[in-house]
Order: sequence, then C-alpha cells, then structure tokens
Amino acid sequence: MATTTAALTITSTDLVGDALSLSTTTTLSKAGNTAGLDQTTGMNVAYLTSTAAIDLFPALVEGSLAFTGKSSWVYICNKSEDETEYALVTIGGINIGRLYAGDYLWMPWSMKESANADNHHGDIEIAPSVATGMWFDWICINEGTEHHAVDLAIS
Amino acid sequence: MATINAIISVSSDISDYGLSVNNTMTMNKAGTTDGLEKTTGLHRRSFLSTNQVDLLTAGSGRADEVTASKAAKLYIKNLGTSTTEFFTIGFGNSSGSGTHTATNGDATAFELGRLYGGDWMIIPWLAVSTTGDITIAPSVSTEMDVEYMAFHE
Repeated sequence: MATTTAALTITSTDLVGDALSLSTTTTLSKAGNTAGLDQTTGMNVAYLTSTAAIDLFPALVEGSLAFTGKSSWVYICNKSEDETEYALVTIGGINIGRLYAGDYLWMPWSMKESANADNHHGDIEIAPSVATGMWFDWICINEGTEHHAVDLAIS
Repeated sequence: MATINAIISVSSDISDYGLSVNNTMTMNKAGTTDGLEKTTGLHRRSFLSTNQVDLLTAGSGRADEVTASKAAKLYIKNLGTSTTEFFTIGFGNSSGSGTHTATNGDATAFELGRLYGGDWMIIPWLAVSTTGDITIAPSVSTEMDVEYMAFHE
C-alpha cells in the first residue's frame, strides 16, 4: 500500500489587512477507507501545438464499473511563461476554468458519464489558447485502473 | 495589486521510481502579470442534509464579482475526518434542494469529484453564468463541515 500526501500552502502579505497563511495536508486514500491509492498514470509531459481540445487520460475508461465510486486525483499544470497563454480545462464538456501561465490545479475526479446524448463522458480535456506550442504537465493518481480493450472505439 | 502564492507539494512511494510534485502558482489576473486582488474570504459552512446546493453562485452572493471574464481560483476543503463521509463537488446549476443526481451535462450539476475527510482541492474557476456554479452535496445528513475561499479579480 502506497502513501501519497498532498500539501498546499497559500500565502499573501498584502491581499487582506493582515498576512494570510493557509496550510493543509491530506493523505490520499481509496474511497471509503484508509488504504492508500496505489495506481497512477505517471507524470505526462506534453508540448501541444494545436488549439484543439485533447483528452488527458484516454487510457482510463471513464464511467466504467472499475471506477464507479473510486477515488482519483488529478494535477494539471500550464508550463507556459507567456502570461497571455492559457488552457481551458473542461470536464464532461463543462468549463472548469482557465489555467494561465504557471497555473496548476489539483482536484478529485469522479469520472462520471453524462446522461446526455452528446457523448460527453467524464473526460478531462484541455484546449490551449494558441497553436504556437505550449508545455503542460499532468498526472492522475487513482485506484482501480481499467484499461481500454484492444481497438476499442471511443468517443 | 496583491501577491498570492499557492505552493503545492505531492509526494508518494506509489512507484519504485518515486513521485514528487512541487510547484508554486502566483495568482494573476487574466492575461497579465498583475496579481489577483480580491477574495471572498475564508468561509466555514456546516451542512445537516444531503441536499445538493450551490456553494458559490457565479456572479451572485459572495461571488458577485466573479464572472467568466475574470480570473479566479477556488480552494475547498472537507473539514471532517471521516474516511467514509464525503462531499460531492460539482459544476452546474443547483436548484438549492433535492438530492444530488448523477445525471450530468444538463441543468443539474456535473459531478467533478468527492472530497473525503481532510481532502482539499484548488482549481481555476470559470464562473459561467447559470452553468458555472460550484455545487456541493454531503453524503450524510449528520453534520459535515467545509471551508472554502475564492481569489479573484
């Protein structure tokens, strides 16, 4: 059983009247128990040269029985150094937010499928704002990985 | 203009090769190097039902200045310690009542993920009107507490 800890510290000396300092740490566990998450996609490092949205975790079968009620955590970082460049992050076709240069996100992921007929699975997608090339990092730490069968058609 | 830094550190022995993520994000206004300068403040909220409700409503209430045209970051933490009780966090439009539904991609909330006891998250928030609300649904009707804070321009 692996032990994965995630810590966050938010600080500012000039946002409010007094210094702001918020620190928190959590240990990532499987859903509903204290056993640690034991699987990961590994860290992906990608250079994207199109503004087309891409599926960050195509190897994971979203909404499958293997993932129902399971715990998954996602980190995504826009490594661009141009403050005007961003990536729109969506899940299931719904906008989450824009990651500008240097921004990251850390969030749980339920991998829920859409009930609509629009094939909006619980995919996490990013769409770069420019096609001139942007670097990204992303990783998923999870339990219960199910991989696609050979030549499985996905939408 | 304020300077707000968010430092993340993830470490794990999940792999024989090790896993470590360390990064610092300076929260800036959209498309600029000017820092975010506003916040909702740190809120603590208790829940006593499993109803799905808006935690933050885009462009309204505590988030009245947060809209899709502005940069915003959102921090949420489950203050509980239970390994079985969780908050379901979603994006969308909650009616303010009713049980969270797994029906996604329509007028109800799209389930983003679950925060178990002690879990936290930080995401950018594109506060699109109507569909960009942050929704929350406790898993049990006994008291559960959450804290949250938005930083925005």
